[in-house]
Amino acid sequence: MKPGTRLKSATCDTEVMVIRCGEGAIECGGVAMAETKPAEAAALGADFSGGTLMGKRYVDAAGAFELLCVKPGKGSLAVDGVVLVTKDAKPLPASD
Amino acid sequence: MIKVMDGIRVLEVAQFTFTPAAGAVLADWGADVLKIEHPIRGDTQRGFLNMGGVQLDPLRHTLIEHPNRGKRSVGIDLATAEGQEVLYELAKQSDVFLTNFLPKVRQKNKFDIEHIRAANPNIIYARGSAWGNKGPEREQGGFDGTAFWSRSGIADAMSPKELGGPLSQGIPAFGDSIGGMFIAGGISAALLHRERTGEALELDVSLLSTAWWASGALISQVMETGILTGNSMPKSGGSPVNPFTGNFTTSDGGTINMCTLSPTPQIIKSLFTHLGVPEVADDPRFADAISLFTNADAASEIMVKAFAAQPYQYWRQHMKTYTGQWAPIQSFEDLLTDDQTIANDMIIEVEGADGGKPLRLVRSPVQFNGEKLETTRAPQASEHTEIVLMEMGIEWDRIEELKAKGAIA
Repeated sequence: MKPGTRLKSATCDTEVMVIRCGEGAIECGGVAMAETKPAEAAALGADFSGGTLMGKRYVDAAGAFELLCVKPGKGSLAVDGVVLVTKDAKPLPASD
Repeated sequence: MIKVMDGIRVLEVAQFTFTPAAGAVLADWGADVLKIEHPIRGDTQRGFLNMGGVQLDPLRHTLIEHPNRGKRSVGIDLATAEGQEVLYELAKQSDVFLTNFLPKVRQKNKFDIEHIRAANPNIIYARGSAWGNKGPEREQGGFDGTAFWSRSGIADAMSPKELGGPLSQGIPAFGDSIGGMFIAGGISAALLHRERTGEALELDVSLLSTAWWASGALISQVMETGILTGNSMPKSGGSPVNPFTGNFTTSDGGTINMCTLSPTPQIIKSLFTHLGVPEVADDPRFADAISLFTNADAASEIMVKAFAAQPYQYWRQHMKTYTGQWAPIQSFEDLLTDDQTIANDMIIEVEGADGGKPLRLVRSPVQFNGEKLETTRAPQASEHTEIVLMEMGIEWDRIEELKAKGAIA
Protein backbone atom coordinates (compact mmCIF):
# COMPACT_ATOMS: atom_id res chain seq x y z
CA MET A 1 0.00 0.00 0.00
CA LYS A 2 1.40 3.36 -1.05
CA PRO A 3 1.61 5.98 1.69
CA GLY A 4 -0.73 8.88 0.95
CA THR A 5 -3.43 6.44 -0.27
CA ARG A 6 -6.96 7.15 0.94
CA LEU A 7 -8.89 4.14 2.19
CA LYS A 8 -12.62 3.90 2.84
CA SER A 9 -14.41 1.69 5.31
CA ALA A 10 -16.79 -0.97 3.99
CA THR A 11 -18.79 -0.85 7.24
CA CYS A 12 -19.10 2.82 8.19
CA ASP A 13 -18.22 6.42 7.18
CA THR A 14 -14.57 6.15 8.24
CA GLU A 15 -11.90 7.28 5.78
CA VAL A 16 -8.18 7.25 6.47
CA MET A 17 -4.99 8.40 4.83
CA VAL A 18 -2.24 5.80 4.94
CA ILE A 19 0.84 7.39 6.46
CA ARG A 20 2.92 4.30 7.16
CA CYS A 21 2.19 0.78 5.98
CA GLY A 22 3.72 -2.59 6.79
CA GLU A 23 2.64 -6.14 5.91
CA GLY A 24 -0.99 -6.94 6.66
CA ALA A 25 -4.61 -6.09 5.88
CA ILE A 26 -5.99 -2.75 7.03
CA GLU A 27 -9.54 -3.16 8.33
CA CYS A 28 -12.34 -1.04 9.68
CA GLY A 29 -15.30 -2.45 11.58
CA GLY A 30 -13.77 -5.90 11.06
CA VAL A 31 -13.78 -5.71 7.21
CA ALA A 32 -10.87 -4.85 4.88
CA MET A 33 -10.73 -1.22 3.74
CA ALA A 34 -10.40 -0.25 0.07
CA GLU A 35 -9.98 2.84 -2.10
CA THR A 36 -13.61 2.59 -3.15
CA LYS A 37 -16.68 2.01 -1.06
CA PRO A 38 -18.81 -1.08 -1.74
CA ALA A 39 -22.32 -0.39 -3.08
CA GLU A 40 -23.78 -1.96 0.03
CA ALA A 41 -22.25 -1.48 3.46
CA ALA A 42 -20.98 -4.59 5.22
CA ALA A 43 -22.08 -5.37 8.78
CA LEU A 44 -20.06 -3.76 11.55
CA GLY A 45 -18.22 -6.38 13.61
CA ALA A 46 -19.21 -6.21 17.27
CA ASP A 47 -15.59 -6.27 18.44
CA PHE A 48 -14.66 -3.52 16.00
CA SER A 49 -17.27 -0.85 16.77
CA GLY A 50 -15.33 1.56 18.98
CA GLY A 51 -15.50 4.36 16.39
CA THR A 52 -12.85 6.59 14.81
CA LEU A 53 -12.06 10.22 15.58
CA MET A 54 -11.41 12.90 12.98
CA GLY A 55 -7.78 14.04 12.83
CA LYS A 56 -6.48 11.25 15.04
CA ARG A 57 -3.56 9.04 14.08
CA TYR A 58 -3.94 5.29 14.63
CA VAL A 59 -0.89 3.10 15.10
CA ASP A 60 -0.03 -0.53 15.85
CA ALA A 61 2.22 -1.68 18.67
CA ALA A 62 5.13 -2.48 16.34
CA GLY A 63 5.06 0.97 14.72
CA ALA A 64 4.63 -0.54 11.24
CA PHE A 65 1.30 1.17 10.54
CA GLU A 66 0.08 4.72 10.90
CA LEU A 67 -3.34 5.83 9.63
CA LEU A 68 -4.69 9.37 9.80
CA CYS A 69 -8.46 9.53 10.16
CA VAL A 70 -9.82 12.08 7.66
CA LYS A 71 -13.47 11.15 8.12
CA PRO A 72 -14.83 9.60 11.32
CA GLY A 73 -17.18 6.63 11.58
CA LYS A 74 -18.49 3.91 13.88
CA GLY A 75 -15.96 1.16 13.16
CA SER A 76 -12.59 0.53 14.82
CA LEU A 77 -9.42 0.44 12.76
CA ALA A 78 -7.37 -2.76 12.87
CA VAL A 79 -4.62 -4.64 11.07
CA ASP A 80 -5.21 -8.40 10.64
CA GLY A 81 -7.78 -8.32 13.43
CA VAL A 82 -5.64 -6.41 15.95
CA VAL A 83 -7.20 -3.07 16.90
CA LEU A 84 -5.02 0.02 16.40
CA VAL A 85 -4.65 2.63 19.12
CA THR A 86 -4.59 6.42 18.87
CA LYS A 87 -1.26 8.20 18.85
CA ASP A 88 -1.81 11.09 21.23
CA ALA A 89 0.28 14.11 22.16
CA LYS A 90 2.00 13.61 25.49
CA PRO A 91 1.97 17.09 26.97
CA LEU A 92 3.86 17.99 30.12
CA PRO A 93 1.78 17.68 33.28
CA ALA A 94 0.41 21.06 34.38
CA SER A 95 -2.18 22.51 36.75
CA ASP A 96 -2.99 25.77 38.50
CA MET B 1 -18.15 34.66 4.65
CA ILE B 2 -15.75 37.44 3.67
CA LYS B 3 -12.15 36.43 4.38
CA VAL B 4 -10.10 39.61 4.63
CA MET B 5 -6.87 37.65 5.21
CA ASP B 6 -7.50 35.20 2.37
CA GLY B 7 -4.18 34.27 0.75
CA ILE B 8 -2.10 35.28 3.79
CA ARG B 9 -0.15 32.44 5.39
CA VAL B 10 0.93 32.69 9.02
CA LEU B 11 3.63 30.40 10.37
CA GLU B 12 3.08 30.15 14.10
CA VAL B 13 5.69 28.76 16.47
CA ALA B 14 3.95 29.62 19.71
CA GLN B 15 2.39 28.13 22.80
CA PHE B 16 -0.23 28.91 25.47
CA THR B 17 -2.86 31.58 24.69
CA PHE B 18 -1.40 35.08 24.24
CA THR B 19 0.43 34.66 20.92
CA PRO B 20 -1.59 31.73 19.52
CA ALA B 21 -4.70 33.90 20.08
CA ALA B 22 -3.29 36.30 17.48
CA GLY B 23 -3.09 33.38 15.06
CA ALA B 24 -6.68 32.47 15.95
CA VAL B 25 -7.92 35.98 15.15
CA LEU B 26 -6.06 35.95 11.81
CA ALA B 27 -7.52 32.49 11.08
CA ASP B 28 -11.00 33.87 11.90
CA TRP B 29 -10.27 36.51 9.26
CA GLY B 30 -9.37 33.88 6.68
CA ALA B 31 -5.58 33.47 6.95
CA ASP B 32 -4.02 30.02 6.51
CA VAL B 33 -2.40 29.57 9.93
CA LEU B 34 0.09 26.75 10.33
CA LYS B 35 0.66 25.94 13.98
CA ILE B 36 4.00 24.24 14.49
CA GLU B 37 3.96 21.89 17.47
CA HIS B 38 6.45 19.55 19.05
CA PRO B 39 5.83 16.11 17.45
CA ILE B 40 5.45 14.35 20.80
CA ARG B 41 4.42 16.92 23.41
CA GLY B 42 2.43 19.34 21.26
CA ASP B 43 1.63 22.83 22.54
CA THR B 44 2.33 22.74 26.29
CA GLN B 45 -1.16 24.13 26.83
CA ARG B 46 -2.57 20.78 25.63
CA GLY B 47 -1.58 19.56 29.09
CA PHE B 48 -3.60 22.27 30.86
CA LEU B 49 -6.47 19.90 31.48
CA ASN B 50 -7.10 20.76 35.10
CA MET B 51 -7.35 24.51 35.54
CA GLY B 52 -9.42 26.28 38.15
CA GLY B 53 -10.43 22.85 39.41
CA VAL B 54 -12.28 22.01 36.17
CA GLN B 55 -11.29 18.78 34.41
CA LEU B 56 -11.35 19.07 30.61
CA ASP B 57 -11.68 16.36 27.94
CA PRO B 58 -8.58 16.54 25.66
CA LEU B 59 -10.90 16.16 22.64
CA ARG B 60 -13.06 19.07 23.83
CA HIS B 61 -10.28 21.19 25.29
CA THR B 62 -11.69 24.71 25.44
CA LEU B 63 -8.35 26.24 26.46
CA ILE B 64 -6.87 24.83 23.23
CA GLU B 65 -9.95 25.56 21.09
CA HIS B 66 -10.29 29.26 22.01
CA PRO B 67 -6.80 30.32 20.82
CA ASN B 68 -6.32 27.72 18.05
CA ARG B 69 -9.57 27.34 16.12
CA GLY B 70 -9.31 27.51 12.37
CA LYS B 71 -5.62 26.49 12.26
CA ARG B 72 -3.77 23.46 10.94
CA SER B 73 -1.20 21.71 13.11
CA VAL B 74 2.14 20.51 11.80
CA GLY B 75 4.43 18.48 14.07
CA ILE B 76 8.07 19.52 13.67
CA ASP B 77 10.94 18.97 16.11
CA LEU B 78 12.75 22.30 15.83
CA ALA B 79 15.65 21.00 17.89
CA THR B 80 16.73 18.97 14.84
CA ALA B 81 18.54 20.40 11.82
CA GLU B 82 16.11 18.55 9.50
CA GLY B 83 13.15 20.08 11.35
CA GLN B 84 14.66 23.55 11.01
CA GLU B 85 15.08 23.00 7.26
CA VAL B 86 11.38 22.12 6.98
CA LEU B 87 10.50 25.26 8.96
CA TYR B 88 12.55 27.41 6.57
CA GLU B 89 10.75 25.86 3.61
CA LEU B 90 7.44 26.78 5.19
CA ALA B 91 8.78 30.27 6.02
CA LYS B 92 9.61 30.83 2.34
CA GLN B 93 5.93 30.38 1.54
CA SER B 94 4.58 32.42 4.46
CA ASP B 95 3.79 36.10 4.98
CA VAL B 96 4.02 36.24 8.75
CA PHE B 97 6.14 34.44 11.35
CA LEU B 98 4.51 34.50 14.78
CA THR B 99 6.30 33.36 17.93
CA ASN B 100 6.40 33.67 21.69
CA PHE B 101 9.33 31.37 22.39
CA LEU B 102 12.02 32.97 24.53
CA PRO B 103 15.04 34.53 22.79
CA LYS B 104 17.41 31.78 23.93
CA VAL B 105 15.16 29.06 22.47
CA ARG B 106 14.80 31.00 19.22
CA GLN B 107 18.59 31.17 19.06
CA LYS B 108 19.19 27.55 20.06
CA ASN B 109 16.64 26.17 17.60
CA LYS B 110 17.54 28.74 14.95
CA PHE B 111 14.19 30.38 14.33
CA ASP B 112 15.09 33.87 15.51
CA ILE B 113 14.57 36.76 13.12
CA GLU B 114 17.92 36.41 11.33
CA HIS B 115 17.33 32.71 10.62
CA ILE B 116 13.76 33.20 9.36
CA ARG B 117 14.69 36.31 7.36
CA ALA B 118 17.55 34.37 5.76
CA ALA B 119 14.90 32.01 4.38
CA ASN B 120 12.44 34.78 3.51
CA PRO B 121 13.57 38.43 3.65
CA ASN B 122 9.99 39.62 3.09
CA ILE B 123 8.41 37.89 6.06
CA ILE B 124 6.83 39.90 8.86
CA TYR B 125 8.33 38.72 12.16
CA ALA B 126 5.93 39.11 15.12
CA ARG B 127 6.95 38.43 18.72
CA GLY B 128 4.76 38.11 21.78
CA SER B 129 6.57 38.31 25.11
CA ALA B 130 5.88 38.81 28.79
CA TRP B 131 7.99 41.87 29.51
CA GLY B 132 9.00 43.29 26.13
CA ASN B 133 11.82 42.66 23.68
CA LYS B 134 14.19 45.18 25.30
CA GLY B 135 15.57 45.53 28.80
CA PRO B 136 17.24 43.22 31.30
CA GLU B 137 14.27 40.85 31.49
CA ARG B 138 13.71 40.19 27.79
CA GLU B 139 14.96 36.64 28.41
CA GLN B 140 12.36 35.99 31.12
CA GLY B 141 9.02 34.31 30.46
CA GLY B 142 5.69 35.03 32.08
CA PHE B 143 1.97 34.39 31.95
CA ASP B 144 -0.82 36.94 31.98
CA GLY B 145 -1.30 36.22 35.68
CA THR B 146 2.19 37.56 36.29
CA ALA B 147 2.79 40.13 33.53
CA PHE B 148 -0.66 41.41 32.59
CA TRP B 149 -2.30 41.20 36.00
CA SER B 150 0.24 41.32 38.81
CA ARG B 151 3.27 43.37 37.88
CA SER B 152 1.31 45.71 35.62
CA GLY B 153 -0.55 47.49 38.44
CA ILE B 154 -3.91 46.06 37.40
CA ALA B 155 -4.29 43.74 40.41
CA ASP B 156 -3.45 46.66 42.70
CA ALA B 157 -5.94 49.03 41.03
CA MET B 158 -8.72 46.43 40.84
CA SER B 159 -8.50 45.41 44.51
CA PRO B 160 -10.11 47.61 47.18
CA LYS B 161 -7.55 48.25 49.95
CA GLU B 162 -10.08 47.03 52.54
CA LEU B 163 -9.74 43.49 51.13
CA GLY B 164 -6.31 43.25 52.68
CA GLY B 165 -4.80 41.73 49.54
CA PRO B 166 -5.02 41.79 45.77
CA LEU B 167 -7.65 39.96 43.76
CA SER B 168 -6.39 37.32 41.35
CA GLN B 169 -7.05 37.61 37.61
CA GLY B 170 -10.09 35.35 37.97
CA ILE B 171 -10.58 34.73 34.25
CA PRO B 172 -8.18 32.30 32.57
CA ALA B 173 -6.16 33.82 29.72
CA PHE B 174 -7.87 37.19 30.23
CA GLY B 175 -4.80 39.29 29.47
CA ASP B 176 -3.65 36.76 26.86
CA SER B 177 -6.88 37.03 24.87
CA ILE B 178 -6.80 40.83 24.89
CA GLY B 179 -3.12 40.87 23.95
CA GLY B 180 -3.62 38.35 21.14
CA MET B 181 -6.00 40.79 19.47
CA PHE B 182 -3.36 43.51 19.83
CA ILE B 183 -0.78 41.34 18.03
CA ALA B 184 -3.29 40.57 15.27
CA GLY B 185 -3.92 44.30 14.86
CA GLY B 186 -0.17 44.96 14.64
CA ILE B 187 0.26 42.22 12.05
CA SER B 188 -2.59 43.66 9.97
CA ALA B 189 -0.90 47.07 9.99
CA ALA B 190 2.45 45.47 9.08
CA LEU B 191 0.80 43.63 6.17
CA LEU B 192 -0.66 46.92 4.94
CA HIS B 193 2.74 48.58 5.25
CA ARG B 194 4.40 45.77 3.30
CA GLU B 195 1.71 46.00 0.64
CA ARG B 196 2.32 49.73 0.24
CA THR B 197 6.10 49.95 0.59
CA GLY B 198 7.47 46.43 0.14
CA GLU B 199 9.13 46.67 3.54
CA ALA B 200 8.67 43.78 6.01
CA LEU B 201 8.65 44.86 9.64
CA GLU B 202 9.30 43.12 12.92
CA LEU B 203 6.86 43.81 15.72
CA ASP B 204 6.55 43.26 19.45
CA VAL B 205 3.61 43.11 21.82
CA SER B 206 4.18 42.16 25.45
CA LEU B 207 1.66 41.21 28.10
CA LEU B 208 2.99 44.17 30.06
CA SER B 209 2.33 46.56 27.14
CA THR B 210 -1.12 44.99 26.76
CA ALA B 211 -1.94 45.87 30.38
CA TRP B 212 -0.28 49.27 29.95
CA TRP B 213 -2.58 50.17 27.04
CA ALA B 214 -5.70 48.67 28.62
CA SER B 215 -5.01 50.73 31.77
CA GLY B 216 -3.81 53.79 29.88
CA ALA B 217 -6.57 56.17 30.97
CA LEU B 218 -5.68 55.65 34.64
CA ILE B 219 -1.90 55.47 34.14
CA SER B 220 -2.01 58.76 32.22
CA GLN B 221 -3.98 60.32 35.07
CA VAL B 222 -1.33 59.12 37.54
CA MET B 223 1.45 60.58 35.41
CA GLU B 224 -0.36 63.91 35.08
CA THR B 225 -1.86 64.38 38.55
CA GLY B 226 0.09 62.00 40.76
CA ILE B 227 -3.22 60.61 41.99
CA LEU B 228 -3.83 56.86 41.75
CA THR B 229 -7.49 56.03 42.19
CA GLY B 230 -8.63 52.45 42.71
CA ASN B 231 -11.65 50.32 43.34
CA SER B 232 -13.82 50.69 46.41
CA MET B 233 -15.62 47.97 48.32
CA PRO B 234 -19.06 46.98 46.97
CA LYS B 235 -22.09 48.74 48.45
CA SER B 236 -25.60 49.62 47.37
CA GLY B 237 -25.75 53.30 46.56
CA GLY B 238 -24.62 56.02 44.22
CA SER B 239 -21.33 57.88 44.11
CA PRO B 240 -21.02 60.79 46.57
CA VAL B 241 -20.89 63.19 43.59
CA ASN B 242 -23.17 61.67 40.96
CA PRO B 243 -25.83 59.38 42.46
CA PHE B 244 -26.65 58.08 38.98
CA THR B 245 -23.36 56.15 39.00
CA GLY B 246 -22.86 53.15 41.26
CA ASN B 247 -24.29 49.73 42.01
CA PHE B 248 -27.69 49.11 43.51
CA THR B 249 -28.86 45.90 45.20
CA THR B 250 -32.20 44.38 44.21
CA SER B 251 -34.64 42.70 46.61
CA ASP B 252 -33.18 39.25 45.82
CA GLY B 253 -29.51 40.24 46.08
CA GLY B 254 -28.88 40.97 42.38
CA THR B 255 -27.13 44.13 41.27
CA ILE B 256 -27.98 46.89 38.83
CA ASN B 257 -25.13 49.10 37.68
CA MET B 258 -25.86 52.74 36.96
CA CYS B 259 -23.39 54.68 34.84
CA THR B 260 -25.24 57.80 33.76
CA LEU B 261 -22.43 60.34 33.65
CA SER B 262 -24.50 63.24 32.23
CA PRO B 263 -27.96 63.12 33.81
CA THR B 264 -30.05 65.63 31.84
CA PRO B 265 -33.47 66.66 33.22
CA GLN B 266 -35.09 64.24 30.73
CA ILE B 267 -32.92 61.37 31.96
CA ILE B 268 -33.56 62.28 35.61
CA LYS B 269 -37.29 62.11 34.90
CA SER B 270 -36.90 58.81 33.05
CA LEU B 271 -34.99 57.22 35.93
CA PHE B 272 -37.31 58.23 38.74
CA THR B 273 -40.28 57.19 36.62
CA HIS B 274 -38.71 53.77 36.10
CA LEU B 275 -37.96 53.52 39.80
CA GLY B 276 -41.69 53.97 40.50
CA VAL B 277 -41.25 57.38 42.15
CA PRO B 278 -42.01 59.84 39.29
CA GLU B 279 -42.82 62.63 41.76
CA VAL B 280 -39.17 62.75 42.87
CA ALA B 281 -38.25 64.22 39.48
CA ASP B 282 -40.32 67.30 40.40
CA ASP B 283 -38.30 67.85 43.58
CA PRO B 284 -36.12 70.96 42.90
CA ARG B 285 -33.17 69.22 44.67
CA PHE B 286 -32.96 66.83 41.72
CA ALA B 287 -34.20 69.05 38.87
CA ASP B 288 -30.96 69.11 36.89
CA ALA B 289 -27.45 67.63 36.99
CA ILE B 290 -25.91 70.30 39.25
CA SER B 291 -28.78 70.13 41.77
CA LEU B 292 -28.61 66.34 41.67
CA PHE B 293 -24.84 66.35 42.34
CA THR B 294 -25.34 68.79 45.25
CA ASN B 295 -27.96 66.51 46.79
CA ALA B 296 -26.35 63.21 45.81
CA ASP B 297 -26.83 61.50 49.18
CA ALA B 298 -30.55 62.22 49.30
CA ALA B 299 -31.02 60.97 45.72
CA SER B 300 -28.95 57.85 46.38
CA GLU B 301 -31.05 57.01 49.43
CA ILE B 302 -34.25 57.15 47.36
CA MET B 303 -32.66 54.99 44.65
CA VAL B 304 -31.32 52.37 47.09
CA LYS B 305 -34.81 51.99 48.58
CA ALA B 306 -36.48 51.80 45.17
CA PHE B 307 -34.09 49.18 43.72
CA ALA B 308 -34.44 47.10 46.90
CA ALA B 309 -38.20 46.85 46.36
CA GLN B 310 -38.10 44.61 43.26
CA PRO B 311 -36.14 41.52 42.20
CA TYR B 312 -33.24 41.46 39.73
CA GLN B 313 -35.19 40.04 36.78
CA TYR B 314 -37.80 42.78 37.18
CA TRP B 315 -35.13 45.48 36.84
CA ARG B 316 -33.31 43.64 34.06
CA GLN B 317 -36.48 43.91 31.93
CA HIS B 318 -38.04 47.09 33.29
CA MET B 319 -34.95 49.29 32.91
CA LYS B 320 -34.64 48.53 29.18
CA THR B 321 -36.67 51.64 28.36
CA TYR B 322 -34.68 53.93 30.69
CA THR B 323 -32.96 56.58 28.55
CA GLY B 324 -29.67 56.78 30.51
CA GLN B 325 -26.78 54.31 30.75
CA TRP B 326 -27.15 51.29 33.00
CA ALA B 327 -26.56 47.55 32.96
CA PRO B 328 -27.54 44.51 34.97
CA ILE B 329 -24.52 42.86 36.59
CA GLN B 330 -24.59 39.56 34.67
CA SER B 331 -22.61 36.37 34.86
CA PHE B 332 -21.05 34.71 31.82
CA GLU B 333 -23.89 32.19 32.13
CA ASP B 334 -26.40 35.04 31.82
CA LEU B 335 -24.50 36.34 28.79
CA LEU B 336 -25.19 33.12 26.85
CA THR B 337 -28.87 34.07 26.68
CA ASP B 338 -28.38 37.84 26.41
CA ASP B 339 -30.31 39.25 23.41
CA GLN B 340 -27.29 41.28 22.28
CA THR B 341 -24.89 38.31 22.43
CA ILE B 342 -27.23 36.33 20.23
CA ALA B 343 -28.21 39.14 17.84
CA ASN B 344 -24.53 39.90 17.15
CA ASP B 345 -23.55 36.27 16.42
CA MET B 346 -21.10 36.25 19.32
CA ILE B 347 -21.40 32.51 19.94
CA ILE B 348 -19.82 30.36 17.24
CA GLU B 349 -20.02 26.61 16.78
CA VAL B 350 -17.36 24.21 15.59
CA GLU B 351 -17.49 20.42 15.34
CA GLY B 352 -16.19 18.51 18.36
CA ALA B 353 -13.08 16.41 17.68
CA ASP B 354 -14.86 13.58 19.55
CA GLY B 355 -17.66 13.58 16.96
CA GLY B 356 -20.11 14.63 19.66
CA LYS B 357 -22.18 17.77 19.96
CA PRO B 358 -20.70 20.97 18.47
CA LEU B 359 -18.36 23.00 20.65
CA ARG B 360 -19.46 26.52 21.39
CA LEU B 361 -16.74 29.16 21.33
CA VAL B 362 -16.64 32.94 21.30
CA ARG B 363 -16.08 34.85 18.10
CA SER B 364 -13.22 37.32 17.89
CA PRO B 365 -14.29 40.93 18.45
CA VAL B 366 -14.31 42.33 14.91
CA GLN B 367 -17.24 41.53 12.63
CA PHE B 368 -16.83 42.32 8.92
CA ASN B 369 -19.91 43.34 6.92
CA GLY B 370 -22.12 42.01 9.70
CA GLU B 371 -21.37 38.46 8.60
CA LYS B 372 -21.40 35.44 10.87
CA LEU B 373 -18.02 33.87 11.57
CA GLU B 374 -17.51 30.42 10.13
CA THR B 375 -14.48 28.49 11.23
CA THR B 376 -13.30 25.02 12.16
CA ARG B 377 -12.24 23.40 15.44
CA ALA B 378 -8.67 23.57 16.70
CA PRO B 379 -6.46 20.87 15.20
CA GLN B 380 -5.33 17.82 17.10
CA ALA B 381 -1.57 17.95 17.68
CA SER B 382 0.26 17.36 14.36
CA GLU B 383 -3.03 16.54 12.63
CA HIS B 384 -2.05 18.11 9.30
CA THR B 385 1.67 17.34 9.11
CA GLU B 386 1.73 15.28 5.92
CA ILE B 387 -1.08 17.15 4.17
CA VAL B 388 0.58 20.55 4.72
CA LEU B 389 4.08 19.35 3.83
CA MET B 390 2.83 17.80 0.58
CA GLU B 391 0.94 21.02 -0.19
CA MET B 392 4.20 22.90 0.35
CA GLY B 393 5.92 20.75 -2.23
CA ILE B 394 7.75 18.26 -0.05
CA GLU B 395 7.90 14.81 -1.69
CA TRP B 396 6.54 11.78 0.12
CA ASP B 397 9.93 10.04 0.22
CA ARG B 398 11.38 12.95 2.14
CA ILE B 399 8.35 13.02 4.47
CA GLU B 400 8.97 9.36 5.28
CA GLU B 401 12.65 10.04 5.83
CA LEU B 402 11.88 12.97 8.14
CA LYS B 403 9.37 10.84 10.06
CA ALA B 404 11.91 8.06 10.48
CA LYS B 405 14.36 10.54 11.98
CA GLY B 406 11.70 11.97 14.32
CA ALA B 407 12.12 15.43 12.77
CA ILE B 408 8.39 15.60 12.02
CA ALA B 409 5.36 13.94 13.60
